[in-house]
Amino acid sequence: MSTTTVRSGGDWLRQFLPRLVLAPSFAITLVFVYGFIIYTGYISVSKSKMLPNLDFVGLDNYRKLWKTLNWQVALDNLAIFGILYIVICGALGLFLAILLDQKIRGEGFLRPIYLYPMALSFVVTGTAWKWFLNPGLGLEKTMHDWGWASFKFDWLINPDMAIYTVVIAGVWQSSGFVMAMFLAGLRGVDEEQLKAAQLDGASTFQTYWRIIIPQLRAVFLSAFVVLAHMAIKAYDLVVALTGGGPGNATEVPATFMYSYTFTRNQMGVGAASAMIMLMTIAAIIVPYLYAETREARHE
Amino acid sequence: MSSLEIRDVRKSYGAAHILKGINIGINSGDFLVLVGPSGCGKSTLLNMIAGLDTITSGELLIDGKVMNDVHPSQRDIAMVFQSYALYPNMSVEKNISFGLEMRKMPKAEIDKRVADVSQMLQIQPLLKRKPSQLSGGQRQRVAMGRALVREPKIFLFDEPLSNLDAKLRVDMRTEIKKLHQRLGSTIVYVTHDQIEAMTLATKIAIMKAGVLQQLGSPDEVYNAPANMFVASFMGSPSMNLIPSKLVMQDGKLTASVKLKSGQELFLPLAENAAYNAWQGKEVILGLRPEAITDPGSAEATSKLLHQADVLIDVVEPTGADIYARMELNGQDTVGRMRANCGAIAKQNAPVTFNMQQAVLFDPKTEERIS
Repeated sequence: MSTTTVRSGGDWLRQFLPRLVLAPSFAITLVFVYGFIIYTGYISVSKSKMLPNLDFVGLDNYRKLWKTLNWQVALDNLAIFGILYIVICGALGLFLAILLDQKIRGEGFLRPIYLYPMALSFVVTGTAWKWFLNPGLGLEKTMHDWGWASFKFDWLINPDMAIYTVVIAGVWQSSGFVMAMFLAGLRGVDEEQLKAAQLDGASTFQTYWRIIIPQLRAVFLSAFVVLAHMAIKAYDLVVALTGGGPGNATEVPATFMYSYTFTRNQMGVGAASAMIMLMTIAAIIVPYLYAETREARHE
Repeated sequence: MSSLEIRDVRKSYGAAHILKGINIGINSGDFLVLVGPSGCGKSTLLNMIAGLDTITSGELLIDGKVMNDVHPSQRDIAMVFQSYALYPNMSVEKNISFGLEMRKMPKAEIDKRVADVSQMLQIQPLLKRKPSQLSGGQRQRVAMGRALVREPKIFLFDEPLSNLDAKLRVDMRTEIKKLHQRLGSTIVYVTHDQIEAMTLATKIAIMKAGVLQQLGSPDEVYNAPANMFVASFMGSPSMNLIPSKLVMQDGKLTASVKLKSGQELFLPLAENAAYNAWQGKEVILGLRPEAITDPGSAEATSKLLHQADVLIDVVEPTGADIYARMELNGQDTVGRMRANCGAIAKQNAPVTFNMQQAVLFDPKTEERIS
């Protein structure tokens, strides 16, 4: 009875309040994320140099981009960094999670220690590792001061090795986070299965290899997606740690995009590189989201 | 086939004593059911038999060998878990064969055993499926297959039917019983369901708060419960426990019971020397609902029948029987009668007490007087 009497005012509000509350953030996201993606997309096929120029030039910028040596270097570096970063983070994270899963004392104390690097921004991580790896300042100098005069660790200033220092810093920052994901996955495995495995005569290694790790497929996928997009977007870490150098030895797509768009007056080419990065990430994330939503509908 | 002996086994976590000296021995081919309310320590005891939990003190013997420090996989036992604990990433076939594979059994032998077991449990069509594609009852079968294929000395079941719906539970119960009769295997089975315990067991161990209350055949624990806890735990509806007084009547010892009307009944007792010391004292009279019935349903062979008109408070029909509630010595008491016996609520009805089945308890220690 009462619903009919308040229908005019209360019902309208009840029905539209959620939309009303969500509208501002929806509008902002629509304009500043999707709107600017479209704008960037258009810039990438325009004649823009230092300033946006809306003259259409087709795929000229993309052709130019793929002929740029710097872009090739950036892609090579992304391949090295991306693969090593994902593989090492995954392996190390899983290994740490398995060690922490042994019902050891002090787990509550150890877990945050591994997780805290994730709380730092990549800029802080990059700066800290820049000092630590600086031959005249950090590890190498300390070893020399302690009397190990022949010790040499100059990857930071070695053009062939500098990209690996980015891997080291990235792994240091993210493996704890991956560990937390795996640990949650390990804790989700039914304890009775572990008892059953024990009765079946499986060793600890066999229990993990044959029973537990195969059940972590979803965690592997999530970890891969998270790490992959972080690798492709890697910008602040590289800027803080090596600044893209020595020379262009640690150029990655994100630093390439920034320098071409904002400092080298090649806004069109920069926008094209940004679009390539977007496509790459989309190629990873869209199938993942698709699979996730399909699974949800399945259940 | 094998025997199991539990000698004064205790389990404590610091100051918390979970098991307080359990002694149980069973022979080869026995079906032992550990039953009790939750938290009584029955699952802990089962885990200790399996080797998944350490024994604080006491000894556990299988076939006369002390097993306290033997690894679970070396004890030659197999277990069916409450959650079935099937490996979700493996097919049914792999689930069943995993234990044999870990024991490095030749492939041909594994295949043969898996085929035999899946035939016995009628799960051949499921062998290639994953556990997530099975129904609850099918998972239950696979879990049993995984245990059977090992051909162990002792099977352990940890509340295996509690995740099934009521009808399936009854079916699987029968199936487990058939399996036991066919294989003659030694089984230890944990449940909190006293009906499961009664139907399956050859021996029942009733536990409460880490103490073994009684160990005996289903018949013994039902008809001669060791104490009031066992009496009320086993059987549904549970045994009536009526405060009463033993008095001499016509030269015979009887239990006196006052009805709501004020009339006093003197219920005759079986000859038992132990009862004499209790003459004139308060006792607890234990009577199963089926011992309080309509005259037509009373056991004709019983020599100790006593009939009286009793006011029925409530009548609860269950189909085949009705449960008639009455007040005896102020205690709400249930009698089980034929559905068409004519008992009506708020009216007097003739009731026969079969005192052959009566047991007496000491009201202080709650132990049975015998």
